[in-house]
Amino acid sequence: MSRRAKRRIKTLVSIVGLLILIVLVLSPYIWLVLTSFKTRGDAFSIPPRIIFTPTLDNYVQALFNRGYIHNLMNSAIVASCSTAVSLLVGVPAAYALARFRVRTNSLYLLLLLAARVIPAVALTIPLFILFNEAGLLDSYAAVIASHITFNLPFVIWMMRGFFLAIPPELDEAAVVDGCSYFGAFVRVVLPLTRGGLAATAIFCVINSWNDFLFAFLLTGRETATLTAVIPNLVTSFGTSWGQVAAVGTVTTIPVLLFAFAVQKYLVRGMTGGAVRG
Amino acid sequence: MIAEQAIRHPRRRLRLPQSRRGTVALLELPSVLVVVAITLFPVLYSLNISFRSFSLTLPGHTGQWVGLDNYIRLLTDSAFFHAVWLIAVFTVVGVTIELALGLLIALVLDGLVTGRRLFTSLLLIPMILTPVVIGLMFNFVFNAQFGLFDYLIQALRIPLPHGILASSATAFAALVGTDIWEWTPFMALVLLAGLQALPSEPFEAARVDGASAWQTLRWITLPMLRPLIAVAILFRSAEAIKEFDKVFLLTAGGPGNATEVVDLFTYHVAFMSWDLSYGAALGMVLFTISMLVGAGFFKLLASDVGTA
Repeated sequence: MSRRAKRRIKTLVSIVGLLILIVLVLSPYIWLVLTSFKTRGDAFSIPPRIIFTPTLDNYVQALFNRGYIHNLMNSAIVASCSTAVSLLVGVPAAYALARFRVRTNSLYLLLLLAARVIPAVALTIPLFILFNEAGLLDSYAAVIASHITFNLPFVIWMMRGFFLAIPPELDEAAVVDGCSYFGAFVRVVLPLTRGGLAATAIFCVINSWNDFLFAFLLTGRETATLTAVIPNLVTSFGTSWGQVAAVGTVTTIPVLLFAFAVQKYLVRGMTGGAVRG
Repeated sequence: MIAEQAIRHPRRRLRLPQSRRGTVALLELPSVLVVVAITLFPVLYSLNISFRSFSLTLPGHTGQWVGLDNYIRLLTDSAFFHAVWLIAVFTVVGVTIELALGLLIALVLDGLVTGRRLFTSLLLIPMILTPVVIGLMFNFVFNAQFGLFDYLIQALRIPLPHGILASSATAFAALVGTDIWEWTPFMALVLLAGLQALPSEPFEAARVDGASAWQTLRWITLPMLRPLIAVAILFRSAEAIKEFDKVFLLTAGGPGNATEVVDLFTYHVAFMSWDLSYGAALGMVLFTISMLVGAGFFKLLASDVGTA
């Protein structure tokens, strides 16, 4: 067999193998999404029906009649507020950590590392007690604060990496031209890291949207996010499984759209800036 | 490179129009205050609670000082060691299989001439999905009455019991399998990024010398990829030992406590038994372990070219 034919066969085998893999990997999720468009009868049929008449009934029922749209709004509020605060406070700090050599910086980076690795369950215990004493359980402030605990260290680690990649000569030139160091940061460096900044913001939204434990423990009826209500779905919906699937789909679709938007930075974001993909 | 040199020698810079310390304080202080308020203070508060006997509901636990009692109890708590054992097995087995499969997928993707982007786009779906939804989804997949998995093992006549979440060993295997489903694509994408960053010269030299595909993999690809593999293993392990969301929805620790991994155990102590001070002590131990893994992780990052 010629070398070329061999290579063709190899490519063909690779592609077929990958296609099988993709089908295997995605089938549970596709099954979930399809179920959300099925009537009750179709949802429970064995073998699973692939061809059926889709209905939006489950979405209407879950979101409007049962009011899960309220939780969807809460997820959006919590994700956007925790992201905004984390960026506002974290981006300048990341810049300072990337540019200035101050003795306390290594201590601060260590504190941020500790904040990044702490297991959620270890932090929810004191937060729960403190927010309970302050009467802040079931308030947006409590759950937003709890999401800042992981988003702020994330912002600082990610953005520090992006700032380190920009030559400091640029800021210096701006300072020579009469900018303050803060002005150089805002007008010169920040615009150059636009892509990284956008990616960092999107990862913050995803992190917050996907969080379960903080939201589950710190929210209540008024402020519950989508993830916080998921454990109770099965008991509250009974066998209306299409509606459970609809809530699951509504929870995951925004995350997927955001993830595709930052695909270029995905490996970097998933490792908190540790691996540059 | 230039950036790093400049940071190492800031003295060579031009004089700043305002004191550098002032600028640094202005830029960093707000974030320091936030971290201290919502993370450092709560952790210290938790440390304090862990030396007391405190519960919001149990009578007689009003926060009196008990010294090291909670930590001594932990050392003699077989349920805790069971939970630690489970998370250790979960992490070691899960991460090992994720690495092996991920490496295989990365090598196949790396050899692809076209369509790589389409495959990587589709592969990223599991690792970005909301973990509780993954738990919920696989709870349904493994459902004994209408689950996709049960349907498949019936259809393919695989000798597995009905409803694998109902018995201890298979429920734990299902949990590990769910983690492998979620994170193998992550391993593949990280390693693919590493493979594509490798220089081409060694591979050309190997081809000239007539090395087989296996020899090239064993003696060139893997050694060059080793730093990144170490980073990937440590990173995944640091995440896996904190497993909570998926298991909460998939099995809730059951049947019995067959899948009650250590973070879930801590949650049950603090928020089901409402023994907050013992929960705080467990939390401090988990935090310490995470810190050790995290420190190893960053030491590794600082010491080699892991940032491919």
